[in-house]
Amino acid sequence: MNKKTLGFKLVDMLYIAMMIIPIGFGIALKVLTTPLSEGISIAGAKIYFTLSMPVQNLPITESQVNSAIVIISALFLCLYLTHGIKGGIWLKRHHFAELIVEKSTSLVVNSMGEYFKSFAPFIAAILGLSGFSSLITLFGLFPPTSDINIVAGWAILVFVLITYYKMKCGPIEYAKSFANPVLMAPLNIISEIATPVSMAFRHYGNVLSGSVISVLVAAGLQGLSNIVFGALPGFLGNFPFLQVGLPAILSIYFDIFSGCLQAYIFAMLTMLYISGGFPLELYNERKKKKALKCEI
Amino acid sequence: MQSLEVISVNLWQILISLLNLLILFLLFKKFLFKPVNKMLAKRQNEIDAKYEAADSAKRAAEEDKLLWDEKIGTVKAETDEMIKKAQDSAKRQGETIVTKAKEQADGIIRQAETQAKLEMKKAEEGIKKEIVEVSAALANKLLEREINVDDHRELIDSFIEKIGDEE
Repeated sequence: MNKKTLGFKLVDMLYIAMMIIPIGFGIALKVLTTPLSEGISIAGAKIYFTLSMPVQNLPITESQVNSAIVIISALFLCLYLTHGIKGGIWLKRHHFAELIVEKSTSLVVNSMGEYFKSFAPFIAAILGLSGFSSLITLFGLFPPTSDINIVAGWAILVFVLITYYKMKCGPIEYAKSFANPVLMAPLNIISEIATPVSMAFRHYGNVLSGSVISVLVAAGLQGLSNIVFGALPGFLGNFPFLQVGLPAILSIYFDIFSGCLQAYIFAMLTMLYISGGFPLELYNERKKKKALKCEI
Repeated sequence: MQSLEVISVNLWQILISLLNLLILFLLFKKFLFKPVNKMLAKRQNEIDAKYEAADSAKRAAEEDKLLWDEKIGTVKAETDEMIKKAQDSAKRQGETIVTKAKEQADGIIRQAETQAKLEMKKAEEGIKKEIVEVSAALANKLLEREINVDDHRELIDSFIEKIGDEE
């Protein structure tokens, strides 16, 4: 049962194709919509078209499209990794799938406790979405994480979860947790609201600043190159020699390292806030009391 | 083409991205964690079953070993007993054989002795007879002249004949 059948291989190829096609589509879209001569511009995502919606119009931008690309690619990556796992065929990629699952589960259990074990896919989703959204810059695409709206959506979801787990012991306990001591209540409320805001701005700011610095350095190097080598004849005079090298190193830091690090930080903060805000002991006590009451 | 401002808040975009994260969470749960966890559980079950089987096999083997040890012990005792019995019976048989042989030998010796005695008696008797006869013959010969030949002719002839025969 260890041989891959033709159908199996075909499905494999379909999965791989479906991983690559969205990225190719994104690159094609980017190439087609980018004007040829573009100077240095630090702007947000490009707007493809705008849907009219109540309250506020919805512009469909690069960040939406790229998020969708990331999700589709991640979905087919999952399908590819777990393909054939049920059929008893043992492939090397199953080890990788196992590694992802076990590592994220142990990460969640270690930092949140056994109670939150079911959070593993959520944390993996945050890591995956944030990480891949930042790493998509490697294909020359606009990173959705440098759009405040995208990261704010995640932060708000995390905030909802934090509040949900704080509310598990009832709204009275939730209100009490702020008045501790009573005079500090306003500050506590502000810090509670600041949590998602800081999370969103931290992530967004780091990625955006990375791309801003990259653009600035590239532009500066072009200018410097024009000054130094401008005297060379013809084509050589315009060629930005100094742009070779340094932007690549900066890209390693800003695109790869910073993107992965911010994803990790976002996931860690999520775990910390959710498990930290949840009064597990109080919850267990109440549960016990309730069970006793039911018995009586 | 128009671009967004660097910071521009749009509620719908926020909502979409929130839903995106939820969707990816559900996708990961369904397509990555569920099958892998299922497989892990299955493998754990298999491993557990194998361990259990190995344990039970080991236990059975140990029981067997105990049984065999016991059996071997009893067998040893049995063989020892048997050897002892065999030795005893052999001794006894040997003794009986020896005693029988002794008895037989005694009997043979006694028989031989009695026979020898009988023979001796016979021989003594024969010798006595012969002596008597010889002495009688001698006496006859010595007394021949006084013997009436006519009276004793027959007797003398037979005697001579006897001697001649005997010779």
